[in-house]
Amino acid sequence: MKKVLAMVLLVLVMVPVLFAAGKAEAKSNYEIVVVPKDASNPWFVRMKVGVDEFAKGTHHTVYQRGTPDIDATLQAQLVQDLIAQGVDALCVVPVDLESIEPVLAQARKAGIVVITHEGADLENVDYDIEAFSNVGYGAFIMDNLAEAMGGEGVYTTMVASLTNGSHNEWADAGVAHQKANYPKMTLLAAEKRVESFDNGDVAYNVAKELFKKYPNLKGIMGTSSYDAPGVARAIEELGLIDKAFTSGTGMPLDNAALLESGIVKSLTLWDPALAGQAMIALAIKVLDGEKISGVVDLGVDGYTALQFKEGSKTVLEGEGWIVINKDNVYDFGF
Amino acid sequence: MKNRLKKLTSRNEPYIFLVLLAVCILIEIRSGQFFSPNNLVDIASAMIVPGLMAIGAFMVIVSGGIDVSFPALASLSFYATTKLLLDHNYQGGVVLPFLIAIGFGALLGAFNGLFISYFKLPTLIVTLGSSSVFKGLMQGALNSRQLAVIPTGMREWGKKALFVAKNPVSGLTSRMPVAFLVFLFALVFAFFLLRFTMFGRGIYAIGGSEVSAERAGFRVVLTKFLLYIMVGMIASVAGLIRVCMMQQAHPTNMLGMEMNIIAGVVLGGTAITGGRGTLLGCMLGTLLIVIVENSLILIGIPTSWKSVFTGALIIIGTGVSAYQVMHQGKTRSSKGKKQEVAQ
Amino acid sequence: MGESLLKAVNIYKSFVGVEALKNVTFEIKPGEIHCLAGENGSGKSTLIKIISGVYTPDAGYMEFEGKRFSKITPIDAIKNGIQVIYQDFSIFPNLTVMENLAFNSELADRRKLVNHKRMRQIAEEAIAKIDFKVDLDAIVGNLSVAEKQMIAISRALIFNTKLIIMDEPTTALTRREVSNLFKIILRLKEMGIAILFVSHKLNEVFEISENFTILRSGERVASGSTSDLDAKKFTYYMTGREFQVHRFEYEKVKEEPIFSVDKIGIEGSFSNISFDVHSGEIVGITGLLDSGRTELGLALFGIKPIEEGEIKMRGKRIKLTNPRRAIHNKIGYLPEDRLSEGLFLSQSIGDNIVISEIDNLSKAFGILDRKQRRDEIKQWVKNLAIATPNPANACQTLSGGNQQRVVLAKWLACDLDLLILNGPTVGVDIGSKHDIHSILQDLAKRGMGLIIISDDLPEVLENCSRILVLKNGQVVGDMLASESDEKKILSYMM
Repeated sequence: MKKVLAMVLLVLVMVPVLFAAGKAEAKSNYEIVVVPKDASNPWFVRMKVGVDEFAKGTHHTVYQRGTPDIDATLQAQLVQDLIAQGVDALCVVPVDLESIEPVLAQARKAGIVVITHEGADLENVDYDIEAFSNVGYGAFIMDNLAEAMGGEGVYTTMVASLTNGSHNEWADAGVAHQKANYPKMTLLAAEKRVESFDNGDVAYNVAKELFKKYPNLKGIMGTSSYDAPGVARAIEELGLIDKAFTSGTGMPLDNAALLESGIVKSLTLWDPALAGQAMIALAIKVLDGEKISGVVDLGVDGYTALQFKEGSKTVLEGEGWIVINKDNVYDFGF
Repeated sequence: MKNRLKKLTSRNEPYIFLVLLAVCILIEIRSGQFFSPNNLVDIASAMIVPGLMAIGAFMVIVSGGIDVSFPALASLSFYATTKLLLDHNYQGGVVLPFLIAIGFGALLGAFNGLFISYFKLPTLIVTLGSSSVFKGLMQGALNSRQLAVIPTGMREWGKKALFVAKNPVSGLTSRMPVAFLVFLFALVFAFFLLRFTMFGRGIYAIGGSEVSAERAGFRVVLTKFLLYIMVGMIASVAGLIRVCMMQQAHPTNMLGMEMNIIAGVVLGGTAITGGRGTLLGCMLGTLLIVIVENSLILIGIPTSWKSVFTGALIIIGTGVSAYQVMHQGKTRSSKGKKQEVAQ
Repeated sequence: MGESLLKAVNIYKSFVGVEALKNVTFEIKPGEIHCLAGENGSGKSTLIKIISGVYTPDAGYMEFEGKRFSKITPIDAIKNGIQVIYQDFSIFPNLTVMENLAFNSELADRRKLVNHKRMRQIAEEAIAKIDFKVDLDAIVGNLSVAEKQMIAISRALIFNTKLIIMDEPTTALTRREVSNLFKIILRLKEMGIAILFVSHKLNEVFEISENFTILRSGERVASGSTSDLDAKKFTYYMTGREFQVHRFEYEKVKEEPIFSVDKIGIEGSFSNISFDVHSGEIVGITGLLDSGRTELGLALFGIKPIEEGEIKMRGKRIKLTNPRRAIHNKIGYLPEDRLSEGLFLSQSIGDNIVISEIDNLSKAFGILDRKQRRDEIKQWVKNLAIATPNPANACQTLSGGNQQRVVLAKWLACDLDLLILNGPTVGVDIGSKHDIHSILQDLAKRGMGLIIISDDLPEVLENCSRILVLKNGQVVGDMLASESDEKKILSYMM
């Protein structure tokens, strides 16, 4: 039994090597591999769509390779195999920062360019791309809410918890953006920020209470992906459709019904397909020896004016947010 | 008359009822919204899931045990049910989902019951352990993540209203979910069971003295085993109702709610040592917690002070009943003395 | 006398190699009141459990009304009319009297639903059999011990009961409750029910039972008619030892008392109480449960500070506002309920002995002097003959009598002038009782003053030089022990 298992494992290990042997022809081109957290999650399936599209339009060898499950160890092994295979660049969306760090160090030692996404704290990388800055995204959510509210009325903000880092940064940025750009809107003074605990039911109950207590409340700026759907349920039940509005992060298919019914006009998100393309484009630039400084244009939507994050030499932030509404909700496949 | 009054004041329910009333009036004064029709319906609707959970937790505590696994149990069974139905592209009504969830609940409850009744292990240890096992099964075997889309039948049933209450002033409306009937049914069922069946009296008897129950002829092992199966079933029903009402199945949202549920049960005068407590008190205690949790914004408590307020309420509430018990102990001993003199 | 109701013949039973019963034969006839006596560990409980079917004997057989059984189950026992009333009465403190009474028969009838009407009827019939008046809707936990016992007895009568086994039924009862219980036992006898009364109290055995069986170390050492038994024989059978009962004799050494109280009182407990205790004297305080005797004891140790009057120690006025002050003034107290008040049961014997003098054993900065502590413990274990292989064992491993000695040791270690004992031998077997009495007398001879609070009249008469009788918080009798007897004390008490 054990022997059989060992054989199977050996074959599994050999597969990528054989695969690589077949591809080794196009040596003048770069071989660039995108490694997502896993291969089956719709988010990364969508990323693969972007990667494949990029592959069609380039003479470089570009493909995505993921492990069947989300597993930090498997991901590290896969990256090691790719290093052994001698690829030119690795674009990784790490599962676990700590366990991937030493493997990435090996890659760079072997002369491989390393680009990551959602790994801003990694050290052994050439560059890390973030879809957006917290400030930029917060302002973007506010734009969305303001549009729904017609640029006027009382609103408040909702976060998972008052201690959550990015949510509060988004909310702060949203409020600042409103003050600068939407003079007819006002932040509800009595309840400037409420908590949803990343729980749709809490968001729903809190929203109900808010609308009951403050009859002139017109909008709730959500942050977590549970906020807007929960608030939307309250809006629908209280009979406030088209009278009260919400915005926030949300996955397309999860919220298809809400968007189609018109309770929520639009949600915001970043598109993994574009993030995947941006990583590859950046890798090519680095391999070509281009200097990465100032404002970087990768030629990918939302990633045409990347800027270094304040105080960082590796983290680049884009404007890769997108609006999801009833028209494009089925375009993403997740 | 005097006797009846004395009986009433020696019980816990009137006190908890007064506290409840005081809280309601406070909310009304602060917001002017509490006694509006839509708010009352909101409270009733928010009561469904915790209320069901509390019925189960109450029965376990009366039997002298404590169960901290019911949120994990409910999560596993509703998640498995929803996923199973989605995988088979289920298009039917809500009956089958409930039957499946109840089946899972019975199975998982039997797991608890086996260790607690047959192997006589401490309930807290067993349920702490099974709670981890259930969570692990959900995350490991079922690879759980949020299921934002649930079967149509469940979604529609979750939005179905018995009636819609409208606030004449603000025009706000609230739905009374059909699920409320399930809660009422469970409540009546539990009431009947605990009061009019030997099985239910057996739960009280075991909570009072397990040794005596055994000697009196109660089938202690079987009673406890069935009890945990039943609690598993009730918790799973509550879990599935929550999924239907929320229109999505989130695997970890319910975890952690056991503390407030148990607090509510104890608040309602149920002795944590077992044997004593009424379903009425248990419901009043749970209602108090539900109302407070869902009215902090109405009262105007700042978000950052929320947990302090709920915590304080639990301490005060349980303190009152603890004081009651102490007080009773005192009057008992002085009464005993008087009788001695009188003889 | 006719056929025997129950016969247990040549019963053997051992537990993991330890023989609990060796060739024990026991017999009881219908309507007989039979006392089963023996010290702790003599095999009494094992025998009861075999008769009631809980244990199966290793050898021997039983006969119910002539029918022979080699083993029986608890259900068989109940069907044959045997009911056991355990010390805890097997009641449900959280439920009503009615439910407590009716559950057994409802379960025996395999009822699934509750019928309040039928249950009330069963309960009413049950209490009527012994004329027991009680509110059927009362919660049992709120009743007195005696009432709980009546419930257990009434419940036993619901079935076609022929034998009721009562395990130490008088332990927690007051004197009046005991005599009430005896009346009921006689009434049951009239109904033709046999009673097996388990006890180790001498006076009860003589008062109620017709016949007796005494076990010692798993063997039947004596049985027969109670009229053939006297106190000396009883004690000998129980312990295998002969004791010289000697009355305590006090010779006044000094005119000056070491301890005196003057018109002390606590509202609602006692008032206007004055007495002296001299060096080497043992003062007895007796009275009924509600007489204020316990409160007086607590007051003298500072647990319940007095509200009026004054207390003097060697002529100096002292204020006893808490137990630490009392200990500081060399007063010790041995509580009524030694288990809950006097000992840390899960702690070691040694620690329990030295706990009160912890201040004396500490060096600078409160660090314990370990060697001194060890010596101290060794000395007391030896002096008081505490039966333990190792003083580091937990206190709960000891028998009742030895626990009492540990409590004694604990206070003696403090080098006291006055020791107050409340019910010093409650729940202690006869052998240990004698030992404790001789220790107390010995202490007095060494110059300590003692106060014994007890309603065990022979104990007070035997060990005290002077006796105060309390009633309703007042001293109603003050006499020398040598000039009084039980009858005289009782006439003051009642």
